Amino acid sequence: MVRAMTDLPYPIETLDLVAPLDRHRATVLKEWIDWNGHMNVGYYIVAFDKATDTLCNQLGVGWEYTRDKIGMTFVLEAHATYDREVKEGDPLRITTQILDHDSKRVHYIHAMYHADEGYLAATNELILMNIDYASRRAASWPDETMRRLDTLAPIHAKLPRPKQAGRVIAIRKK
Amino acid sequence: MPDTLLNEEPLPYELPELDLVAPLDRHRSVVKDEWVDWNGHMNMARYMEAFDYASGAFHTQIGMGRRYIDNKLGMTFVLEAHITYDRELRGGAPLRFTTQLLDHDAKRLHLFHTMYHGEEGFLASTCESMIMHIDAKTRKSSPFRKVVQERLAKMAQAHGKLPKPPKSGRLIGIPRR
Repeated sequence: MVRAMTDLPYPIETLDLVAPLDRHRATVLKEWIDWNGHMNVGYYIVAFDKATDTLCNQLGVGWEYTRDKIGMTFVLEAHATYDREVKEGDPLRITTQILDHDSKRVHYIHAMYHADEGYLAATNELILMNIDYASRRAASWPDETMRRLDTLAPIHAKLPRPKQAGRVIAIRKK
Repeated sequence: MPDTLLNEEPLPYELPELDLVAPLDRHRSVVKDEWVDWNGHMNMARYMEAFDYASGAFHTQIGMGRRYIDNKLGMTFVLEAHITYDRELRGGAPLRFTTQLLDHDAKRLHLFHTMYHGEEGFLASTCESMIMHIDAKTRKSSPFRKVVQERLAKMAQAHGKLPKPPKSGRLIGIPRR
């Protein structure tokens, strides 16, 4: 793996320019199943949070970023759509599309698919904020993270906007 | 003889006295140690788990708690959820939840949960959700039974007097100055 020179004190993965990001795989665990015999609503978010870790690793703000006491990332807001059930042992494929970013935040949407059958199981749209470790307050992204976001954003912007993005919850009356 | 009770039939268990305090203010919890992540606070994914229990408290009120599932009368699926993360919580923090019924129809519930620190009182998070009633046999959407609809109508009347929560109806985006 090529290690890029960055302002972060640990090696970072080579940037993946495939859009949407299509690196994250998982399996529905037994402990994620509820009374209804399917993955519980809370555990979809657990699964998506691990896909956020995959994104953060790409951006250089993964586990090492907090381990080295540089910073953290906090989710400010999240919207999930539950499109179809998944069962214990089902293989999952999660893609990630960057929708927007600024100097401190990134707005993105994950899509979870059944990896074998291909159907959409859920989506999760999020805003993630960069946090300074010492002050625990919002702060600008590291230079390398900002360079990577600036590189990825125009590539992801060529994708169609997912219809699950930007939704408001309501009962639509006929 | 149908496998499931008809919609007009009563539920085969005793229902709690309906709590018409609005918002519903019954659910309490504590941040479990295993919910804390490497940032030293409750992990974002666990808020949804915590809110799901608050949703369970609401379901119990309308007659659709655990016994509804165990009796194979039906279930509910969350179709959509929107969470705001307003303040961090540490392991062991006591939690208080309130739930406002924003809207409903024959098959769906539109709920708004608010999570507070149980002692300090600050707002920690909100969760707005859309929930669909599902038939146990077909696993497809189906109307709530009559007794549940009656309870929902009474709650809707009480909850309809509350102002719309400022954090309801949000969509996600980075605001530009």
